[in-house]
Amino acid sequence: MKYAFFPGCVSRGACPELFVSTVEVCSVLGIELDYESMKGASCTGSGILQEKNQKLGDTLNARNFALAEKSGNPLLTICSTCQGVMSQANKRMKENPEYLKEINQSLAEEGLEYSGNSEPKHLLWAIIEDIGIDKLKSLVKHPLKGLKFAPFYGCYIVRPSTALDFSGHPERETSLETIIEAVGAEVTDFTGKNLCCGFPILMINESNSVNMVAKHTDEAKNNGADAMVTPCPLCHLNLDGYQPQASKAAGHTIGLPILHLPQMLGLSLGIDPKTLKLNRHIISSEKILSLLFVRP
Amino acid sequence: MYEHDILIIGAGLAGLRAAVEGVRNGLNVAVVSKVHPVRSHSNAAQGGINAPLTDRGDDWEGHAYDTIKGSDFLADQDAVEAMSREAGEAVIELERMGVIFTRGEDGKLGSRRFGGQKVARTFFVGTITGSALLHVLYEQSLKLGLNVYEEWFVTKLILEDGVCRGVVAYDIKNGELHTIKAKAVIMASGGNGRVFEPSTQALICTGDGIALAYKAGVPLMDMEMVQYHPTTLARTGILMSEAARGEGAYLLNSNGERFMEKYAPDYMELASRDVVSRSEQTEIDEGRGIDGNVLLDVRHLGRDYIEKRLGYLQEVASEFLGIDMAEEPVPVRPGMHYIMGGIKTDVNGLTQLPGLYAAGECANVSVHGANRLGANSLLDTVVFGRRAAEHAVDYIKSLGKHSKSENDLKLEQERLQSILDRPKGENIAKVREDMAVGMTKGIGVWRDQKSMEGALENLTTIKNRLLNVSVEDKGKFFNTNLMFALELEFMVDNAEAIIHGALTRKESRGAHFRTDMPDRDDKNWLKHTLVFHDVNHENNVRIETSPVTITKWKPVERVY
Amino acid sequence: MEASREGILMNVNLKVKRFDPSDASKNTWWQEYQIDIHQDSTVLDALIHIREYEDTSLALRCACRASICGSCGMKVNGSAKLVCKTRVIEIAPDSEQIIVEPMGNHPVIKDLVVSLDTFFNQIKRVKPYLQPDHIPQTGEYIASNESMENLLTAMNCIMCGCCVSDCTVLEVDDNFIGPAALAKAWRFVDDPRDSQRIDRLKELNDEDGGFWDCTRCMQCVEVCPKGVAPMERIMELREMALDNGLNNTYGAKHASAVSNHIEHSGRIDEFRLPLESKGIFNIKEIIKLMLPGLRFAFKKRAPSPLHFKNPNQKFVKQLFKKVEK
Repeated sequence: MKYAFFPGCVSRGACPELFVSTVEVCSVLGIELDYESMKGASCTGSGILQEKNQKLGDTLNARNFALAEKSGNPLLTICSTCQGVMSQANKRMKENPEYLKEINQSLAEEGLEYSGNSEPKHLLWAIIEDIGIDKLKSLVKHPLKGLKFAPFYGCYIVRPSTALDFSGHPERETSLETIIEAVGAEVTDFTGKNLCCGFPILMINESNSVNMVAKHTDEAKNNGADAMVTPCPLCHLNLDGYQPQASKAAGHTIGLPILHLPQMLGLSLGIDPKTLKLNRHIISSEKILSLLFVRP
Repeated sequence: MYEHDILIIGAGLAGLRAAVEGVRNGLNVAVVSKVHPVRSHSNAAQGGINAPLTDRGDDWEGHAYDTIKGSDFLADQDAVEAMSREAGEAVIELERMGVIFTRGEDGKLGSRRFGGQKVARTFFVGTITGSALLHVLYEQSLKLGLNVYEEWFVTKLILEDGVCRGVVAYDIKNGELHTIKAKAVIMASGGNGRVFEPSTQALICTGDGIALAYKAGVPLMDMEMVQYHPTTLARTGILMSEAARGEGAYLLNSNGERFMEKYAPDYMELASRDVVSRSEQTEIDEGRGIDGNVLLDVRHLGRDYIEKRLGYLQEVASEFLGIDMAEEPVPVRPGMHYIMGGIKTDVNGLTQLPGLYAAGECANVSVHGANRLGANSLLDTVVFGRRAAEHAVDYIKSLGKHSKSENDLKLEQERLQSILDRPKGENIAKVREDMAVGMTKGIGVWRDQKSMEGALENLTTIKNRLLNVSVEDKGKFFNTNLMFALELEFMVDNAEAIIHGALTRKESRGAHFRTDMPDRDDKNWLKHTLVFHDVNHENNVRIETSPVTITKWKPVERVY
Repeated sequence: MEASREGILMNVNLKVKRFDPSDASKNTWWQEYQIDIHQDSTVLDALIHIREYEDTSLALRCACRASICGSCGMKVNGSAKLVCKTRVIEIAPDSEQIIVEPMGNHPVIKDLVVSLDTFFNQIKRVKPYLQPDHIPQTGEYIASNESMENLLTAMNCIMCGCCVSDCTVLEVDDNFIGPAALAKAWRFVDDPRDSQRIDRLKELNDEDGGFWDCTRCMQCVEVCPKGVAPMERIMELREMALDNGLNNTYGAKHASAVSNHIEHSGRIDEFRLPLESKGIFNIKEIIKLMLPGLRFAFKKRAPSPLHFKNPNQKFVKQLFKKVEK
C-alpha cells in the first residue's frame, strides 16, 4: 500500500524519533511512504490557527488534501491532533459544497483543487482498516508477551465522534487496544485513556498541564502498566517530556515510559530499539527493554 | 425560624415573576422550591406566549374574546380583560430582560399562529419558549440576589387567627424541618399532572400547592376542567407543541385524511384543544387511528424550516421514537396536559384565605375557564405572578411582626415521624399508579356519570390504601421516599376535588365533555363549581357554585 | 408497530454507585440491580422502576423525562449523559451491564445526587443576565432574527451539568470557570442588546481560570445532550478577544505565534514557540523554560533555532492574505 505521507510538524521537530520509527515500521509492514509529494504541505493549524480564522485553517487542510490527491495516494498521518483537525475540516467541507467551492477558489492559484472525497487516515487506523490485523500479526517477530501497555489516544482522535466517523468505523474506538493485543502485549485499562494530556495548555497554565500528566500516568502505573503508548506526538511531548515536572507536582517519581505507536510496533516487529530511538525519550525505557530481554 | 415579607412557593415562571416584583419593591422576599428553579415545569412549555401588540394593529379585545370563546364562556371576563390589557407590556418586559424571541424582518418580535386564534399573536423562541423565559427570569433572580430555599418541600401552611402567615417546610438535602414565616404567601406551585396516567407533566407536578390550599379551607374552582392536549407523543406521552400546527402541520387519520375538516372546518388543526382532542379520540375510537394514535405531519414544511422553527420537536421525535419528522409523520394522541381548575383567586391573585395568594397553573382566576388556549399559560404566569406580588406589597403594610410560635412545626414533626414509623405496607408507586390510571379512565377526554362514579369508587379504595402506605427509607438525607408519600397524599386531595367538580357539573362545557349530557347548558350551568375540604360535611367535601363574571361578551355557540 | 414494541421486555442490568452521607465511613459502594423492562426504555425508566419497586432508598434527580429540565445528568459507562434520553437498547443491546455513577467534578450528596453549587457558582461568575445600556422608548429592542437565532445554540443549554461533569480541566483545577459558564458568557457577548461586550471579554480573558484555560479536549462538545458545543463557544470567545486586540495573555501570544509560524514557514517553529508564547522579554518565564529545554537538548531533541521554510511556502503565505473569515 502506498500513502502520501504527512508527518506533521512535531515529528520533524521535537519528536524526531517518531519520524524515524514510522519509516522503519512502514518498511516492514509493506507500506510505501511518498513523502516527496507532501513536503510542501503545511501545518494543519493544530486547532490553534482555527481559533483565529477557521476558514483559513480549513483552506490549509484542503490544500494538504489536494496535494495528496495530486500524488494519487491516500493521505497518511502519524499524529492524533493532525487527524482530528483534518477530520473536522473535512467534515465541514463535505457538508457544504458551496464552502468547498469558495475554498477551492483560493487554491486555484497554486493549481490545486480538493475534490471533497479524501479520507485522511492515521497509521493507527490504516493498519487495522487497510493493512489488516492479521497481516500485522503475521509480521510480529517478537511478541511483547508479559508487557502491559496503557493506551493513551489523544483527544483529537476520539472526539468529536461525529467528525471521526465512529458510526461507519466502530473499530476505531478501540483501535489502540486492538493493536496492543495484536503485538502480543496486554492492555492496561484506565479511565484517563480518552482524556486530555494537557499539552494545549502547557504554555498557558503549566500547573494544570502537568497535573493532568501526573493524573493519567499515575493511574496507568497504579493499574499495573509497564508503559504507555500514544499515537500523538503532542501527547508524547507532555507525557514524556514533562513527566519530571509532573512527578514533582505529584510529590513522587512516576517513571512511566511513554512510547510512540510506531516504537511499540517496531519492538514487536523485531526492529532494533536503537533504530527506534527509544533513548531519545526523557523517561527511560530501560525497564521494559530489559523485560523484553533486549539490550538498549 | 425564618422570616420574610413575602414567601413564594414554587420557582417556576409565576413564582419567579412574583419574586422579581417583590424584590423590585424593596421587600424581603424568598422563594421555596422543591427543585432548583431551572428544573421547574415551566420549562416544558414550548410553543409561545400570547400578546396583542397594538403597534402591530392588534387589539386586546380580540385576544380577550378569543380567550373567552376558547374557555367556552366559563372564564371571568374581568380577569381576562386584565390579562389581555397587560399582555403586551408583559411580553415586551420579558424581551427587555433578555429573552431571545424570534424576530420578523423588521427586527421586531415575530409571531406565529396558535390554536383558537385567527391572528398570529404568539411570540416565541423556537419550540423552547417556556425554557427560554424561565432561564431569563432565573437570570434576573440572580441579578437581584433573590433568596431561594432550594430543594425544600412545603408540608403545611401556617394559619394564625385565620390568616396565612407562612409554611412548615423541610430541607430535602438533610431532612430538617423548619418554620418560615411570611406576611404574605404566594402559591405558585404548578399543576397536578401526576394525578393522571399518562400525562405530559413532569414527575414533580403533584398538585402540592393546590392540596395545601384545599386543606387550609380554600375552595378549588372548576377542578373538572382538565385539558387533554391533542398532540402528545405516542408511548412516551411527551408534549409535541401546538406550534407544529401553528406552523402548518396536518393531523391525519389512518386513511391519510385531514380529519379536522369534519369537526372544525374553519380553524381545522388550530381549533381549541378540547375540540381537537375529542376529534382525534373519535377517529381513534371509530377505528381510523393507528395503534391508538393519529399522525402529525410536518413533512411539507421542509427540513430547514422544521429545524429552525420546530427544533426541539425534531429532537424529541428522533431521540425518543427514532423518527425523522422531515421524512415521516409522528404518531400522537391526546394526553392529560394542564388543569384549568385550581385555587380560586380574584383578579389580584388573592384567595379567600387572607394572606394567601395564588398564581400560575395552580390558580384559577378564572382566565382559562373550561379550556385554555395554547400560549395563554405562559401569559397567565407572568401577568398574575406580577399582580399577586403587587397586591401583596400593599397588603403587608397593614401587618404586624411575626409571632414566635412554632406549633405547626412540632405537629408536622410528629406527623412525618408517624409516617416513617408505619410498618411495611403498600408501595407508594403502585397506589399512585392505580389512582392515576383510574382517574384517566373516569375523567378522560369523554366522561359520563358511570365513569365518574367509578373514579370516585376507585379513589375511596385508594384513600384507605393511603393509610397503609409505608416508607422504607428511614434516612434523613435526600429521602425522596418520604417526599413521595407526602406527594401522594396531596395527589389524592387533588383527585378528590377533580372528581367532585366533575360530578357536580351537569352539562358539557369545554374540556368537561359528558357523553350523557353532551350539550352546554348556559341557563343552569354558566357558573363555576367550588369544592371545599370541610370536615363537617359528608366525605369531608362541600360543594358550592359561584357566578361567572360577564362584562362585554355574551356567551354564544362555540364553533370552530 | 408500536403495539408490538410495547410488549417486548428486555433484561436490564445496572451497576449503580451508592453513597450514604449518614454512613460515618463515607465509603461508596456498588449495588447491582437486574430488572425486566420494555425494550424501548431509557436508563431513567430503569432507575425509576428500581426506585419505585426494588429499592426506595435509591436517590436520583429527575422530573420532565423529556430532556428539557436538565435534572437527570449522570455518568453512564463513564460518560455524562441525560439518562432520560439514553435508550437502554442502544447502549446495552445484549443486556450488558450498565454502569451508572453520579456526575463528576461535583460533590456527591447521596447516591446519584450531586451538589450543583459548583456549577451554579461558575454560572454566577459571568454575570449571566442582560446588561443593556438603555431602555427603548417604546416596545422591544430591535434586533435581527439572525442575531437571535445565533444565540439559540447557547439558549438550548438546560444547565444539566454534563459538560462540567466531564471537563478534563476541572478534574485538576476547580478554579476554571468551566464550559457551561463560558457558553453562557458567549450568549451575552454575542447578544447585540448587551452593552458589556468588551468588559465581559476582558474579564474572562484576564481572569485566572477564564477562557484561555480550556484545554480544547472536546469532552464538553461530545457529552452535551443539547448541542450547545461549549468548546466551540469558547473558541469563538477567544477569536473575539483576539479580534478586539486583547493580546496580553499567554494564550493570545501562543495563538499569534502559531499563526505567524505557519504563515512564515508552513510549520510550527518549536524553538521559538515557547519563547513567543511567554513573551520574549518575559525573563522569569524564559528561565523556567530552560530546564525542560536542556533536558530535550541532552536527548538530542531540542528543535533547532534554524527553521527552514517548506517548499512552495509562498502559496501558503498568499492564502494567509487572501482568506478572510
